[in-house]
Amino acid sequence: MKIALAGNPNSGKTTLFNAITGKTEYVGNWAGVTVEKKEADLKKKYNVGKELLRVVDLPGAYSIAPFTGEEAIARDFILDESPDVIINIVDGANLSRSLFFTTQLLEIGVPVVIALNKGDIIDKRGDRVDITSLSNQLGCPVISTTAVSEKGLIELIKTAVATGKERINPAFDKTKNSTTDTERQKIVDLIVKNSVIKSRDASKVNLSDRIDRIVAHKIWGLPIFFMIMWAVYALSIEGIGGRLSEYFNETLFGEIIPNAVGTFFERINVNPVLQSLIVDGALGGVGAVVGFLPLIMVLFFLLALLEDSGYMSRVAVLMDRYFKKIGLSGKSIIPMIVGSGCSIPGVMATRTIEDVNERRMTTILTPFVPCGAKLPIIALFSVVFFPEASWVGPSVYILAIAVIIVSGKLLKRLFIWDSTSHFILELPEYKIPSLKHAFVQMIDKAKGFVYKATTIILVMNTLVWFMQAYSWNLQAVEDQSLSILASVGSGIAPFLIPLGFVGWQLGAAAITGFVAKENVVATFAILLVVASEDALHMPGGVLTQFFTPVTAYAYLAFNLFTPPCFAAIGAMNSEMGSGKWLLRGVGFQLGVGFTLAMLISQIGTLVFYGEFATGFVPAVVIAVLMTVFLVYSIRKADVKRQIMELAEEEM
Amino acid sequence: MVLAKAKIGFKGSILKVEGKDKIKKFLFSLGCFEGEEITLISILAGNYVINVKDSRYALDETMAKNIILAEQ
Repeated sequence: MKIALAGNPNSGKTTLFNAITGKTEYVGNWAGVTVEKKEADLKKKYNVGKELLRVVDLPGAYSIAPFTGEEAIARDFILDESPDVIINIVDGANLSRSLFFTTQLLEIGVPVVIALNKGDIIDKRGDRVDITSLSNQLGCPVISTTAVSEKGLIELIKTAVATGKERINPAFDKTKNSTTDTERQKIVDLIVKNSVIKSRDASKVNLSDRIDRIVAHKIWGLPIFFMIMWAVYALSIEGIGGRLSEYFNETLFGEIIPNAVGTFFERINVNPVLQSLIVDGALGGVGAVVGFLPLIMVLFFLLALLEDSGYMSRVAVLMDRYFKKIGLSGKSIIPMIVGSGCSIPGVMATRTIEDVNERRMTTILTPFVPCGAKLPIIALFSVVFFPEASWVGPSVYILAIAVIIVSGKLLKRLFIWDSTSHFILELPEYKIPSLKHAFVQMIDKAKGFVYKATTIILVMNTLVWFMQAYSWNLQAVEDQSLSILASVGSGIAPFLIPLGFVGWQLGAAAITGFVAKENVVATFAILLVVASEDALHMPGGVLTQFFTPVTAYAYLAFNLFTPPCFAAIGAMNSEMGSGKWLLRGVGFQLGVGFTLAMLISQIGTLVFYGEFATGFVPAVVIAVLMTVFLVYSIRKADVKRQIMELAEEEM
Repeated sequence: MVLAKAKIGFKGSILKVEGKDKIKKFLFSLGCFEGEEITLISILAGNYVINVKDSRYALDETMAKNIILAEQ
């Protein structure tokens, strides 16, 4: 039996879904968190019968006629896959709006059970809803629920299963009732009037509005936003998260574990090659990544608190007028903040942006926000090359903002966008973020991170270890520069010379970064543990043989601003909806990362050391060619735009 | 009078919603259509925060110009 959850955005569908299935799907206090349908089996606690019950969580919709992409998903599922019963989650905090969608659902001819959700908010407001009257008027069962505290859910599921089994279609008379949508709204108003006693006037200025007037103030809004984001990163990178990671990296994975495992292997006489593979390859590489787990956990914990509070929608309102100037929507900030945790959900969050051009542009720009997987690279490079400086971490975020602004402006000129965008966003009431929820999300993300580290990163590291230890004819090599990895890295290395990066190792690390960005750190750990006794994370450590502080910063920028990992490129592909646009997007990202690293490296070396960096001449040639290409492309786009304008005038 | 010209605290009914069909339909599903009550709560960073039914929405100026209010 298939149960579908449908309702308005931010009515609590996913919270309810998580409660009855035991899943930990992504929840946030803004409209449009869920962009794809999610399926899972019902938890035992709720499953009374023996039958397998499958629950489908659908993205939120205000109406059966879709406005955004995710609304279309909800409609298509209900119409095409005809679930056995629909649980319509009705936002008790906004009954009259929710019931518009409800009446549309009732007419489809599928059994419907209504969960009158957010019972806690109804009680807090002092409103009263007559459930029996509501149920009589709508012709279907209505159950009062509070999904956050799991109140009423057992009864809800029991009723839904019974209604679905007996195929009791709603007794809501379609012919008698609505012929037009306006009449439908009138009917809804009547139903609400008959069954709800309101004690609160919603049009009065409330506490949320007062908070909004401060946090979305035209002058104070931006500084407040930057302070909040700074606090989030300071706490995760330098605060408790950073401290714990430092311990993990230097002591736990730097000494205790490798020593213990090494001693153990020696005692049981394990083959030295296997020993090296496990200790240097697998443990060294994975350890270099897993050490950053505390840092990433703190980051996700804080982001979850932020998302749960309702603040995200306000940032979107605040940012709209700035983002409009670079061809984005205020809503583009939500993917970017989410993307500071991980680019994949960030890119997926672009789906709530209705305008296709704004959505594509946001999809290209979101991976420029340094994600959690890039934090290990930032942390490693800042501790090795800038041990005394505290500006490196923040500077990366400032650089990211600058890159996004310049890229936005450039994209706007390079391609033809037919933007007719409108900004409209629901502002949910603020709520005190739930620590429990943030904790659950954090553990979920931590599991994902450990899973990634022990699968894809482990495999990749074993491969890297093998490739650096063996030559093409599978002979173990003493000298790394004769290894398979060296020859692969050497293939890339010439392209990196204009950026001032010399050495096949740098090429090899950058390539592994596309599989997962943490691999950049892991690869260095594997490559350098053989070359040196010093720990990777020491100030002035082994990495200094490859970089000056300037080229190190350039290499950091190169890894942050070239295309994201393959998984994120996959997410970009599904959001772009066109191979051509994916190619343009990835090409653009590659161009940005390459050029930026080149400029930092060449100009920085000239300014700080008064000398030319390696590859200065090719860099100048590339810079000239790049400029010519950009000017030419922009001219071409300008001409096209003019032709289109003329054509429009003639019409 | 258009919403974009209204003063904060304005409470009245909607005379008409103009603009593209798709946007009109969307506003309609939120309960923002002719005859309905609307309140201008605040103007935040150039956006108009309105109350329609029981919820708050932020609209940009372009949209606020498309909502015509009934004169009182």
